[in-house]
Amino acid sequence: MDVFVIGQAVHPPAMRIGDKRLEELVFDTAYAALKDAGVSREQIDHVTIAGCDELDGRSISSMLLAAPAGAQLRDEMKCTDSGLTGLCLEAMRLEAGIFELGLLVSWCKPSTAPVEDVMRMRCEPFYTRPIGLNMTITDGLFAQAAGAQYGFDEFDADEVVLDSYRRGAANPRGVGHAVPGVADISVSPYVAAPLRQAHQAPITDGAVAMVVASGDWMKRNPRAKALARVAGIGWRNEEYDLGADRLTGLRSFKDSWGDALRMAGCNNAADLDLIELDSQTGFHELAFRAALGDDMPKAISTSGGAFAQNPYFCTGLINAAEAILQVSDRAGPIQIPGIKRAGAHAAHGFALQANVAVVLERV
Amino acid sequence: MPKTPVAVIGTGQTKFKTHYADKTYVELAQDAAKLALDDAGMEPGEIDAVVYSMAPTQFMGVNDCDRWATGHVWGKGKPYMRIHAGGATGGSALHAGYVHIASGVYRSVLVVGADRVAETPDAQHILNLIWDRFYEHDFALNTVTMTALAAQRYMARYGTTEEQFAKVVVRARKHALGNPYAHLKGDITVDDVMNSPRVAYPYKRFDICPRSSGAAAVVLTNLDIAKKKSSKPAFVNGVSAITHSVFMGDRMGVYSETEFSDHDGEWIAGYEAYRQAGITNPASQIQVAELYDPFSTFQFPIIEGLGFCGRGRAAAISDEGGWDLDAGFVAIGPSGGTLCTNPIGVTGLVRVVDAADQIRGKSGQNQVKNVRNAVATAAGGSTQFFTVTVLGEDHAPAGRLQ
Repeated sequence: MDVFVIGQAVHPPAMRIGDKRLEELVFDTAYAALKDAGVSREQIDHVTIAGCDELDGRSISSMLLAAPAGAQLRDEMKCTDSGLTGLCLEAMRLEAGIFELGLLVSWCKPSTAPVEDVMRMRCEPFYTRPIGLNMTITDGLFAQAAGAQYGFDEFDADEVVLDSYRRGAANPRGVGHAVPGVADISVSPYVAAPLRQAHQAPITDGAVAMVVASGDWMKRNPRAKALARVAGIGWRNEEYDLGADRLTGLRSFKDSWGDALRMAGCNNAADLDLIELDSQTGFHELAFRAALGDDMPKAISTSGGAFAQNPYFCTGLINAAEAILQVSDRAGPIQIPGIKRAGAHAAHGFALQANVAVVLERV
Repeated sequence: MPKTPVAVIGTGQTKFKTHYADKTYVELAQDAAKLALDDAGMEPGEIDAVVYSMAPTQFMGVNDCDRWATGHVWGKGKPYMRIHAGGATGGSALHAGYVHIASGVYRSVLVVGADRVAETPDAQHILNLIWDRFYEHDFALNTVTMTALAAQRYMARYGTTEEQFAKVVVRARKHALGNPYAHLKGDITVDDVMNSPRVAYPYKRFDICPRSSGAAAVVLTNLDIAKKKSSKPAFVNGVSAITHSVFMGDRMGVYSETEFSDHDGEWIAGYEAYRQAGITNPASQIQVAELYDPFSTFQFPIIEGLGFCGRGRAAAISDEGGWDLDAGFVAIGPSGGTLCTNPIGVTGLVRVVDAADQIRGKSGQNQVKNVRNAVATAAGGSTQFFTVTVLGEDHAPAGRLQ
């Protein structure tokens, strides 16, 4: 794609950002991204928003948040799937030739939202809501089914979680979670067997914004420096109902990566130097690795992924920001030398109903 | 410039009514998807991607209900995303579908959605929650009272009367008589409107849209597929949107860039959509306008914003029947419009369906003669999100950005 990220900002995360309204969180992040890109809001010709009303606790949250996101008197569009879906939409808006310079903003402040209640209300009212399904239980069902399919268990998950926390602790953009001992993980309470509480990535508050430009704009503004090219995008959904095949097939994970890699001219994920995965539990990370199989990139979730920070709705777009930092040599102490192509991933919906993949390339 | 012209080759909508006791939400969405696919002569497997149109899910009571609908609208295994812009959702979803194809990423896209606004016992309570919880929740703000304030301001600026708004309702209900899908319809009089119960000045009950349930869908494709599949597609020649501040007070007065009561976003988005479509004189080049007009007071400022007449002139033309279906000028809302049917999450899409059907000569009893171009609008939030879509029987010249 002829689409480039020229600036970005990730709000300093916290378990609870208590000193800012959501509007302030969004404004500060959007403003910082514009500053990073060296452009003004007046130069932006459109805005793409990715947000979740239910987690924001408002019926049309973009009413109050569009202007802080820079969309005052701009052509603005909002998707509700995930932050990373917003990057896919933003890339298509630019590639369609109507726009040249856009601002993409996504946020999540779940410290003010009863997340499990929001997830329970995702259940349709006839079958799944009466039995009390929620995010944790569907993750537990996924952990059971995927573990049986791919041959991993909770002890493997303990190790993956520990490793994720270690990577997250080295990431200066993480919350700074203390790294637990493996014993702390393995004796934490079951929340939906085999899923233990410590297998779950803590949900944090956060926001992320990117300034994205078309190739034509880059040509006309030669002094602008691209941080990365958006080389490939892919997003796929699976059925809502949780059958055995749905829980173990990881089809939308594989197909979204297939789409993004094909568009980027890659044969498989091994052509990437890094993938930042959206692993909400240790079992998710194990399943993703199993799905990638032999086509593994050189590095996985160097940032610590969701165990570094996890503003649930936009964790995937945070992953993209981390990937962009890597391909632009700005990742600081966790920089891997020579990263040319990096992937970012998001998952959303019950038990991975949908996955999103983006390939970002060094310019 | 877009990599390909984008065309509507299939449309579908269900009948709209207050409740559907015999269908679930997802079955409604499926009905519209099936109708659109059949109209396009396509099988679900020929659709590359799905865009789901849904506004606040609190109306129907299932969070992120698009996920529930995935399999029912044949989205399983496909790229699938939901667009949400309040009342402007359907227009914005259409624009999202457009960029899927104009970018060259996908060839054919199903844009589909459903809403059941009356599942909640009080939609206006839900709509109170769209405002700021610290400053505005405790006012009696909802979409009725909010737009009543704008209507009063419009009346003060242009001298428009309640009776003139009542004539809009009479025309809409009359137009809807020929629309088999419309929710409210009938031969009513200005007195009927004026004598209906007062809600919030200047509104009486008949000035306000119903809470509708139903679904709509559109099949969009690139030029190559449109040529193969359709003898008369409707091309999407202009797509534009504008977003305002939520704060109504910031949109009026000497320091404001725009005027709240004039629906100025409509003008800004309309101008850009016209530019893309090569429309230089909308009153002579556009034959049909399907407007997002859930209140009788919306039509005049939107008509003026879209350039069909000067500011403050639409009411007088309305009095003379100039916006009627058969007047030979611009037919405003030949379907009966949003005033007769408002399933909020898909209303903007219904406007596109009705406008595209006029281009394609498929509007039955309500068909306007010789429609070459049509415009469809949507609006949402605190009348802050506006979308304008221009459709035409020919595709616009390729060049867009100038």
